[in-house]
Amino acid sequence: MGRYIVHRLLVMIPTLIAISIVVFTIINLPPGNFFSTYIAELQATGQKADLVRIHFLEQQYGFDRPLWQQYLYWVGGLLHGDLGYSFLYNEPVSQVVGDRLLLTLIVSFATILFTYLVAFPIGIYSATHQYSWSDHTLTLLGFLGLATPNFLLALVLLYFANVYFGISIGGLMDPNYVNRPWSWAKTVSVLAHLWIPVIVIGLGGTAAMIRRLRANLLDELHKQYVVTARAKGVAPVKLLFKYPLRMALNPFIADIGSLLPHVISGAVIVSVVMSLPTTGPMLLEALRSQDMYLAGSFLMFLAFMTVIGVLISDLALAALDPRIRLQAGRRP
Amino acid sequence: MSEIEIGGATAANAVPADGVEPLAHYVSSRPFDPYASERLTSAQERFYSASQWRMMWWKLRRHRIAVLSGAVLLAMYVSILFCEFLAPYAADTRNGDFIYAPPQAVHILFDGRLVWPYVDGYDYRLDLNTLKRIYTPDPNKREPIRFFCRGDSYRFWDLIRGDLHLFCPARGGQLFLLGTDRLGRDMLSRIIYGARISLTVGLLGVVVSFTLAVLIGGIAGYYGGWTDILIQRVIEVVQSFPHLPLWMALSAILPVSWSPLLVYFGITLILGLIEWTHLARAVRSKLLALREEDFCTAAVLMGARPARIIGRHLLPSFMSHLIASATLMIPSMILGETALSFLGLGLRPPMTSWGVLLNEAQNINVVALYPWLMLPVIPVIVTILAFNFLGDGLRDAADPYH
Amino acid sequence: MPKPFPDEPPEPTTKGSRLSRRTVLMSPGLALLLRPIFAGAAKAKLAETAYFTAEVANGRLPAIGARVPLEPAIVRSGSVGRQGGTLHLLMGSTHDTRQMVVYGYARLIAYTPSLKLVPDILAAADVKDGRMFTLTLRKGMKWSDGHPFTAEDFRYWFEEMAENPQLSPDGPPIELLSQGEAPRFEVLNDVTVRYSWTRPNPLFLPSLAGPDPLYIYAPAHYLKQFNPKYADKVRLAALVKQYHERNWAALHSRMSGMYRNNNPDMPSLEPWILKTPLPASRIIFERNPYYYRVDKTGQQLPYIDRVVLTIADSRIIPAKTGAGESQLQARYLSFDDYTFLKRGERRNGYKVRLWRTGPGSQWALYPNLNTNDPVWRGLMRDVRFRRALSLAIDRHEINEALYFGLGIEGQNTLLPKSPLYRPEYRTAWAGYDPQEANRLLDLIGLKRGGGGIRQLPDGRPAEIIVEDNGESGEQSDLLELIRDSWRHIGIPLFEKPSQLTLFRRRIFSGEAIMSLDKGIENGLATAEMPPWELAPTTQQQYEWPKWGQYFETKGKAGEPPDLPSAIRLRDLYRQWLAAAGHDEQARIWQAMLKIWADEVYSIGTVAGIPQPVVVDDRLRNVPEEGIYNWDPGAYFGIYKPDRFWFVSGAAPAKSAATGGQR
Repeated sequence: MGRYIVHRLLVMIPTLIAISIVVFTIINLPPGNFFSTYIAELQATGQKADLVRIHFLEQQYGFDRPLWQQYLYWVGGLLHGDLGYSFLYNEPVSQVVGDRLLLTLIVSFATILFTYLVAFPIGIYSATHQYSWSDHTLTLLGFLGLATPNFLLALVLLYFANVYFGISIGGLMDPNYVNRPWSWAKTVSVLAHLWIPVIVIGLGGTAAMIRRLRANLLDELHKQYVVTARAKGVAPVKLLFKYPLRMALNPFIADIGSLLPHVISGAVIVSVVMSLPTTGPMLLEALRSQDMYLAGSFLMFLAFMTVIGVLISDLALAALDPRIRLQAGRRP
Repeated sequence: MSEIEIGGATAANAVPADGVEPLAHYVSSRPFDPYASERLTSAQERFYSASQWRMMWWKLRRHRIAVLSGAVLLAMYVSILFCEFLAPYAADTRNGDFIYAPPQAVHILFDGRLVWPYVDGYDYRLDLNTLKRIYTPDPNKREPIRFFCRGDSYRFWDLIRGDLHLFCPARGGQLFLLGTDRLGRDMLSRIIYGARISLTVGLLGVVVSFTLAVLIGGIAGYYGGWTDILIQRVIEVVQSFPHLPLWMALSAILPVSWSPLLVYFGITLILGLIEWTHLARAVRSKLLALREEDFCTAAVLMGARPARIIGRHLLPSFMSHLIASATLMIPSMILGETALSFLGLGLRPPMTSWGVLLNEAQNINVVALYPWLMLPVIPVIVTILAFNFLGDGLRDAADPYH
Repeated sequence: MPKPFPDEPPEPTTKGSRLSRRTVLMSPGLALLLRPIFAGAAKAKLAETAYFTAEVANGRLPAIGARVPLEPAIVRSGSVGRQGGTLHLLMGSTHDTRQMVVYGYARLIAYTPSLKLVPDILAAADVKDGRMFTLTLRKGMKWSDGHPFTAEDFRYWFEEMAENPQLSPDGPPIELLSQGEAPRFEVLNDVTVRYSWTRPNPLFLPSLAGPDPLYIYAPAHYLKQFNPKYADKVRLAALVKQYHERNWAALHSRMSGMYRNNNPDMPSLEPWILKTPLPASRIIFERNPYYYRVDKTGQQLPYIDRVVLTIADSRIIPAKTGAGESQLQARYLSFDDYTFLKRGERRNGYKVRLWRTGPGSQWALYPNLNTNDPVWRGLMRDVRFRRALSLAIDRHEINEALYFGLGIEGQNTLLPKSPLYRPEYRTAWAGYDPQEANRLLDLIGLKRGGGGIRQLPDGRPAEIIVEDNGESGEQSDLLELIRDSWRHIGIPLFEKPSQLTLFRRRIFSGEAIMSLDKGIENGLATAEMPPWELAPTTQQQYEWPKWGQYFETKGKAGEPPDLPSAIRLRDLYRQWLAAAGHDEQARIWQAMLKIWADEVYSIGTVAGIPQPVVVDDRLRNVPEEGIYNWDPGAYFGIYKPDRFWFVSGAAPAKSAATGGQR
């Protein structure tokens, strides 16, 4: 097990390096950089571009130097924990991200919780009552959630929530709670706004979860040991929970690795539509305006989290499932 | 030879002594075929000698919803071929007098009697206070729908001129079954034309993904060792990305001077480039397992080259799984195109796709005042549902020997 | 005698020759004394500002008499209001804090709603020969932190900032240069400064009055701590390090962004001062205790105590406004949103007014006369081609389809409200006459080929690719309509949206043959405003980017204009810069406008589109009708939001107070 961990950690390094190169390339692919976009925008609206300050910034961060030097400068900063400076928001990247990360995490975890809470019972019910009408209906509902473009749903829900419930449009809480410290009223306001994005973002993931749980559970339920247990008279509920469910839980844990960055990226489109102060819209804006440090560092952060997440879920799986542990090192 | 006593021996069925007349019996005069019990009826023969694909089809048939979905999809794809004929208006016909007109209902009853289908014509008035266009159906203005009629002219597949439509509005009348948009274009026609782009984007993207997945996964799975490890790392790199930023960045590099068609192909390429990883991993793991099988060893021993082994021996054995997975990838492509167009990065007018139509619908004015502009979401949902069910059915049927 | 502004009484004559601007400018060489319209007369007794009674009581702030200037600016127009209340606005990004500088519109010289230039912060401005400007400040005027506002602030800006090569590597701002010459700056006394040139500088006053103004002053007492000439070197080095700046110059330039308005510590003269450190999604501005304007009953302005900006994604702002979350909103609202906003009126307690926009055309096509392709370049430079394209556009249909017929059809030129307007400028080559267009195109020699599509001389189809920045669906709709009408003259049109930087780059480099963008910015020009938009003066002009660049860089880049009409426009512009009086300026304007109308350098469509302005029912002094324009206009600026006030109770916006329910 120890060798497995060390091996994985070592392999992580070239992966991260490769990712950083790809990220850097992609962000710099579109012509121009943040400053040219910024100047263009200002001039397009007839405002004078503060060329003096812009020149300073360009020199200070080496944007007049060749690309490979910029890359090294950036990576060097990353290794020191310096994520760079965001020109879009005029402050260090860590601060921009940090401010939004809390709310993003709240939304993400609420969504994951929602997904699990909904997918679990539905998946189990579907598997145990296979091919019944309720199975079909529930599956259909699950798929509907998967198939609807969530940004449109978000807009519709927002509008109706405002008209029928008086909830302010967009944002995660009523505007006058924004800078105030946490209180009961603020929490209630956040919850009242939270259910729309959670449902909209979570809907797609729920359907996938349901399907996977159902498929896995069905596989397990048809195995020999279940048949034996049933023949021997074990009660149905105990039969279900003691063995098959544990096996079927595999994907839940295995997916945490990929679920995390997906959710943290905040279901970008939905966050944009609903004007949520999460990292999604921030990323979109950063990419649009080619704010190199903000976009690049945040993407690296996401990639890093994915890699760590995959590692953790692999380790968790290995801990959970002895077969994986024992096969470690061999061809999986 | 010992006698075996079976029940009680009566005089009727006691074995006659030697030389006496045999018992009443019947001997068939047909020639004797020692393998008769092994021969199959034609039905049985078909069953047992059925190819893998036929068995898949039989199993699939039992999954009724998958079959229904398949039929729906087939209908949709066939309709793409006849867009111009099916849509009541041509692609860019617009009617400046009927901007933001709501959908018209088709009536087949009049005074309780069954009549030729018709729609009520609109009376138009501009509310100057709110600057809203008010359309009221006028029961006195009955506009019968014409079928197989000559309507807007079009160029069939951009080649042949024609003007035959399945159904069109009455002469001088209007037929807006799903309402009109900002410039007075019929939504139903736009949705029908949009199908052409949206449905094919998914297919082409999947083809790209599929090819990449088979190639890369195949190489990794077959060769194993260092190649495998390297490719696995690459897969991990590509998978670690949230797709959206990649799409955005890649869309930004599409040259502006490209024609809309080239941009369209560029978008499908981009979508395909991101989605191949899951499939590649599946291919890889299957190959890793299968290459230890005897038939593969036999092929190696007979001197077959790796490409041949992979292509002709290994792949066909799990092609069904691949197809099922590929079918399940199409919905995410369609949603991807929709999302990209929504963000303004994918296709843009004058190209019509469902994503473009939804992009035009994503503002509060539409939600509050002209909700029929959001109707393109329905074909999107139906298509994605159909593909999902079909894919599920295919996956269930994929291993007919299971 | 001057025509008085409708609301005010004519000002009494004071010491010095108070002549009307009109009469004076007609006779060049005379001195002109500009006095604010609302000056003089009996001063009402000052009333202490209720918001600060506590601070005044415990000595943190001096009493009102010591806070406003000895001769404060007195507002006489509009109704007298009451102090109090919080104004809620919606903005799209934290950069929009600069809108508070635009709306606040505290300027040395300001435009009135009738677009006359009058001193605002200044007590008086004396203009001699259009080249010598003596500016008199108000005695006793203070910055928002209580420090006096004096000539030292002007001197610091001029000598330490504008003339300092480290802070201004490109030299002083261009509006300060009269044909390249920098002014001579003198401090006459504590409250008087003078700028003089050898030749007239007509750009000086209008740029002081701009929405994004030329700042010729800066809070010297605050900025000196960032200047090694005045500050303790050690402390300065520590500050530079603390703010992660490269050197003191970078820090200084960061801290001195008066327009950027993102530094809560920086003193300001605007009516509302930034209080929230940025970035934030809810930004609070509080009233300036040392504001220089009072109303005629002696109450210190602004009436409104606080302004709260809520930052939201710009696409969702119409929805939020329709839900009552903004009390004064025009930004990010477009005409399309009108019907939806109207629906929310009764439920949310606001009214939607329709103001007019100022550009010469909402959208205009810009044939690129500097395009690289020689065949297209030849065509674009042929006036007959441009006229034909213009004649083939059905503007009436566009007006009806997109704007309910409420716009003003015509060329990309001045609007009827401008004193320089003449109807023939708008209607020249702007009717719908496809026959004439066809005739012109036939004359040029563009033969029709297969499918009725015209061909270029070298055989290629004459397909025009119109590029735009893809940011609005309205552009696509407009081009769709134009495409249909150009079909009748055999010219296919394709839209090519691209990202903003790329879009502009392609125009500047000549790769784009035609682009779509807003029409001329200033459709309400008066003779005193520079006609720079009509001549090749900057690269930002999409019809002749290279000629404009040539002028801008003084010949270092770009190409010199080679069309006689363009050369003439440029020469006329130069003449305007040297013009001495109003009449000559007006004459030059008319000459330029006439060439502009004849030559159709840009093809305008529809102008004067109504702009929805959402105003809370309890807000007063907001005009029923007005112009919503950037320059001149400063959006709400010229209507002076410091005069807006809330009736009774001054409750904040509905959603914030009552959690969304009414």
